[in-house]
Amino acid sequence: MIPFADLLLAFVFLSVMVSLASNRLMELVKIMAFQGVVVSILPMALEHGHGIEAASLEFLTVMLLIKGAAMPAALYIAVKKVANRREVEPYIGYNASIFSGLIIIMAASFISHRLSPYMPAANALLLPAGLTTIGAGFFLMMARHKAITQVIGYLMLENGIYLMGAILPHKTHSQYILEFGILLDLLAGVMIMGIILYHINKTFDDVDTGILGSLKD
Amino acid sequence: MLEIVILIPLLSGGAAFLLPARPGRANLIAAGLLHLTACIAAVSGFLPAMLPQYFAVTPMGGLVLIITSFLYLMTSIYTVSYMNEIEMHNEPAFNGSMLLFLAAMSMAAIADHIIVLWIAIEATTLTSAPLILLHKSKGALEATWKYVLICSVGIALALLSAFSLILAMSRGGVEVPLTYNCLNGAAASLDPLWLKVSFIFAIVGYGTKMGLAPMHTWLPDAHSEAVSPASALLSGALLNCAFLGVYKTHVLLTSAGIGRFSDHILIVFGLFSILVAGVFILHQNDYKRLLAYSSIENMGIIAFGSGLGGLGAIGAVIHMIHHSLIKSSLFLTSGNILLGYGSKEIKQVKGMIRLLPGTAVAFFSGFTGISGLPPFGLVISELFIILGALRSHHPVAIIIFISGLLLVFSGACRHIIPMTFGSGTSSRDDLLVPDKLPRLLPSYILLAVSVFLTFWMPETIWEMIRQAAALMGGAHA
Repeated sequence: MIPFADLLLAFVFLSVMVSLASNRLMELVKIMAFQGVVVSILPMALEHGHGIEAASLEFLTVMLLIKGAAMPAALYIAVKKVANRREVEPYIGYNASIFSGLIIIMAASFISHRLSPYMPAANALLLPAGLTTIGAGFFLMMARHKAITQVIGYLMLENGIYLMGAILPHKTHSQYILEFGILLDLLAGVMIMGIILYHINKTFDDVDTGILGSLKD
Repeated sequence: MLEIVILIPLLSGGAAFLLPARPGRANLIAAGLLHLTACIAAVSGFLPAMLPQYFAVTPMGGLVLIITSFLYLMTSIYTVSYMNEIEMHNEPAFNGSMLLFLAAMSMAAIADHIIVLWIAIEATTLTSAPLILLHKSKGALEATWKYVLICSVGIALALLSAFSLILAMSRGGVEVPLTYNCLNGAAASLDPLWLKVSFIFAIVGYGTKMGLAPMHTWLPDAHSEAVSPASALLSGALLNCAFLGVYKTHVLLTSAGIGRFSDHILIVFGLFSILVAGVFILHQNDYKRLLAYSSIENMGIIAFGSGLGGLGAIGAVIHMIHHSLIKSSLFLTSGNILLGYGSKEIKQVKGMIRLLPGTAVAFFSGFTGISGLPPFGLVISELFIILGALRSHHPVAIIIFISGLLLVFSGACRHIIPMTFGSGTSSRDDLLVPDKLPRLLPSYILLAVSVFLTFWMPETIWEMIRQAAALMGGAHA
């Protein structure tokens, strides 16, 4: 039987590939919600056998709510309110994007292979999944027209960094207050990005980042 | 309790959102006064931390805290008069954001825990975004978008720097709290490979926020589109907070005995930033962008000096102090110019010395100061940095450094001399808003403090500078 954690990590890879191929903004938002949920429950799956402390359970619940519900909801509202045209409008086409995704996965696996001797022992898929998600986040930010896809790319980058964090050795539970801080910053960041998006849309009648190019030297 | 330096602006910032205009302005200044008092008490050691696992006053953090608080107070006095002249769209939101921004910066200055510093620096981005967005003009929207997105991505990478530090601890078998203080003590046992990785992520991540080239692209936009008092804080105070992130990681590498690695990286980033700024200043047609590029140049100088160590490191710390004072004064006077001429274009501004004499004197003095001419402090810091480079045998770096400074100086001269002394056709009647004392006084005070500190440095401040520099390998002459 496949361990649950491996299954979740496979879902992470899958969500990355689907996000690169998707051409609808709503679809992207749903994928991000799915990825948020997967990433939030992953620590529980990794910890099987150790038992989970109450504090960490509380933290994971809050994280699930923020990553799986609050942030996608903010994105959902933004897409509803802001996007006139619902397509993603890529700079780099979908087929080329999928191909780039594969290259990102290969590069991630290569780097993980080289790094693993210097890392603490962890699930073999964790590091490649983290690196792939970070890489794909950057890719989405650069390869799509709409400002809203940049927010989605940023969230994906954060998910990737979170996966990297899961590799780290165990911390004492007093540290959870800090992780709350990180999450809070993220949530506020996404909200503020949403507000700016709203104003951009009101002023320019579009959220294409191509129009945001007047300030330069 | 030390945390009061965060709580004062946090609480008054929350209140500011609810207060109407007039009490809101009083609140802005009162909070500034209270904050400065608390900061002086904190740096003098009267306020022990309630949460010592997260917060502590370090020499460098203390300097950044005092500078931030003093700049904020001056800016708040200016802001009150500035508000009378412009139509502020949503004044309570502006006041509130200013204070929350101060709270976030204070938190960054006293943060000793790695993750707390990260949280504070991300919070500075989020609380200062509304200050740039305020005008809601097309330019302001674009600038805010770039600012929030690029800096958030940068700071996300800085989180990887923290993770690498944790890996360096676990591989080195170090079990101490995750604070810079404790880690400095145990630095020798940290795994050097991950320590180096951590520094690379720190300089890319926090360096983005600090405005080091080539990650600086957001900075000229944000600093020029923000309202002038906000620009003064962004340039004078926020960049220092971001530098703290780089500095603390650099100190860790130095204590671990692999400081040469971070030295070289800092020198390269520093020199590159100076050159990039020089090139862009040469053909600049917006005076606020010119000042923003000058900030990039000065952050480059600070990075360069930190990388040199020895006298250079002392120079870097002194440079940070004087750059904050002079640059914020320049941004405040640029606000007066914008009010008077109604344009940010260099071409539109001619003969300030006739039309806005008070502003012109402050602006030109600030320009002399920022160019590293006496009687302002940058002359000393730049001299220290050049001497430091000579001592550590970096001949090529000295040549690039001095040519970079000359490039910036000549580029800025080309624009600023006509702005101040050029003969324009406009007369006093064309001026939109004349000079006013409350909008001039803060600039003059900031410049005066810089001159004062050049000739008479109080013993306590000098001791803090010396200790801050010693941590990154800075030695006494």
